Amino acid sequence: MTLIRKALRSPRTRFWLTAGGIGVTALLVMVLGAAFHSVSFSVAAYTGQPGMDVWVAPGGVDNLMRSSAFLPAHVPESLAVMRGVAAADAIVRSYVTVRDESTPSPAGRRLALIAIGYAAPSGSGGPPIIAQGRAPLDSTDITLDRASASRLHVMLGDSVWVNGHAGVVVGLTNGTNLLSTQFLFANLSAVSEASALRGRASFAVVRRAAGVPPGELLESIRARFPRLSVYAREEFIANNVREVAAGFIPLLTLVALLGLSAATVLVTLLVHAVVEERREDLAVLLALGADARALSGALIREALVLALLGAILGIAVAAALGAVLDRALPVIPLAFQGSDAARVLLVFVAAATCAAILPLARLRRIDPLEAFRP
Amino acid sequence: MMALELEGISQTRGSGRRAVEALRDVSLSIAAGEFVLLEGPSGAGKTTLLAVAAGLLTPTAGTVKLAGQSIGALSSAECRRHRAACVGFVFQRSNLLPQLTLWDNVLLMAAIGGVPRTEGEGEATRLLEALGLAGLTHRRPRELSGGEEQRAAVARALVHRPAIVLADEPTGNLDSVSGRAVAERLAGLAAERGTAVLVATHDPRLEPFATRRVRIADGAIAAG
Repeated sequence: MTLIRKALRSPRTRFWLTAGGIGVTALLVMVLGAAFHSVSFSVAAYTGQPGMDVWVAPGGVDNLMRSSAFLPAHVPESLAVMRGVAAADAIVRSYVTVRDESTPSPAGRRLALIAIGYAAPSGSGGPPIIAQGRAPLDSTDITLDRASASRLHVMLGDSVWVNGHAGVVVGLTNGTNLLSTQFLFANLSAVSEASALRGRASFAVVRRAAGVPPGELLESIRARFPRLSVYAREEFIANNVREVAAGFIPLLTLVALLGLSAATVLVTLLVHAVVEERREDLAVLLALGADARALSGALIREALVLALLGAILGIAVAAALGAVLDRALPVIPLAFQGSDAARVLLVFVAAATCAAILPLARLRRIDPLEAFRP
Repeated sequence: MMALELEGISQTRGSGRRAVEALRDVSLSIAAGEFVLLEGPSGAGKTTLLAVAAGLLTPTAGTVKLAGQSIGALSSAECRRHRAACVGFVFQRSNLLPQLTLWDNVLLMAAIGGVPRTEGEGEATRLLEALGLAGLTHRRPRELSGGEEQRAAVARALVHRPAIVLADEPTGNLDSVSGRAVAERLAGLAAERGTAVLVATHDPRLEPFATRRVRIADGAIAAG
């Protein structure tokens, strides 16, 4: 009943403060989820590029993110001549230190990045999305993630030093930010030289010839190189996402649970305050003949509206924050997903319903005779 | 028709040595349109009697008939619905709901009493006009004087055209002028509608409006 709901509304200032608190917890959960999705997206964007149908890795290595082994030198060439293979390219992956000046100084900026050396310009394994400029062509060309460029304060055409070797920034990329680090792309020989890995390859990526069934190619490579690890693209993507998630999920779960607990406590507090402060009003309503279920319903509705409003507020601010950060501070990548927003709404509403149960138990103990107290 | 019939009502609070007989073998009938004063000292059992009459307290013994319906035979939900439809309350404090305007406070009772909205609005308009509150309908209780609040409580008690109004010291917190105004209008409006009124009070200012006075002492009717 509308009038009963109106009669049991909480004071506006307290209502909006509580909704704001719930919004902040929703924002926290959304931002963390978006950061996770962004990192997963970056990993998948690179490893899942068209033309990289099969990944060949040193034995036991199952992901790009954390590996330090190398393939035998002949593997890429041997793969390239196999039946069913359209092309096979070597990739060198190493960690490098990038500086914005040649001589380190206290004022200088430095970053540790994942360097990907590939057979530029035509080989597989280059940057997935060029936001500005171009992919590397010769041995001094470097393409950096947008966030790295922002952190190093460099732009297209600026010089940087990669493990002490000079390079020129010719392109900026998107979808290559792993939050804790980013990708850098350069010619295979340049990365090998800078990392003292000449003649080595971390992985080989294979492009399947037209008409060859994927499973058949995978099996023939496995048969030819039984000591190496061979993965279809989807499997390799999944391995890398899992590797990223392993570090993220516990933190994400913890923060989500803490946020949810905070929201639940806030809703409980508000509904509890309404019941306690309106004890006399509730007694009067019960004495007049109001249905206790209608009173409970009004209080649950208040809790649900509060949780929904708070969650929507948090989601809206998160989306706005994502757009602002993408322009002003690309260092923090956020990829918001509709499914996350739906989950936040659902879980917060469920939490609000549970939160209303405790105060409602107190409502049942209110004696309508309290209305007769002078 | 009888608005209220109490037959052999006893009400005991607590048990064993601590048991207190709040009401002892009380029988009382009030016909439609009667204005009955229930007088007696504090602790005599006046409020307990009102609570039993409203079905808010179940008597230890005896039967209560409200508007011809024995409430002992009803389930708690049926009893609540019957109370909402047949009883109006005026408490010592107005007990208006602070979040609602005066208009909404009155309409809320109409809704609880199951009165259709249009009908409730018409009756609320008539009552508020008669009680001199027509210009104050959008005010909240904190913006009203004590007398205005209590007159609004009278409107709330009558808006659903109940069989009986149960009033507990309705003028107890008011000055003599406001108290008299409230009593006069409650008596007048109830009589117009054929509504019975049972008022628990110490206030002699209500005596001129009474059609009958009942004294209660130590939980028993002393005179009727």
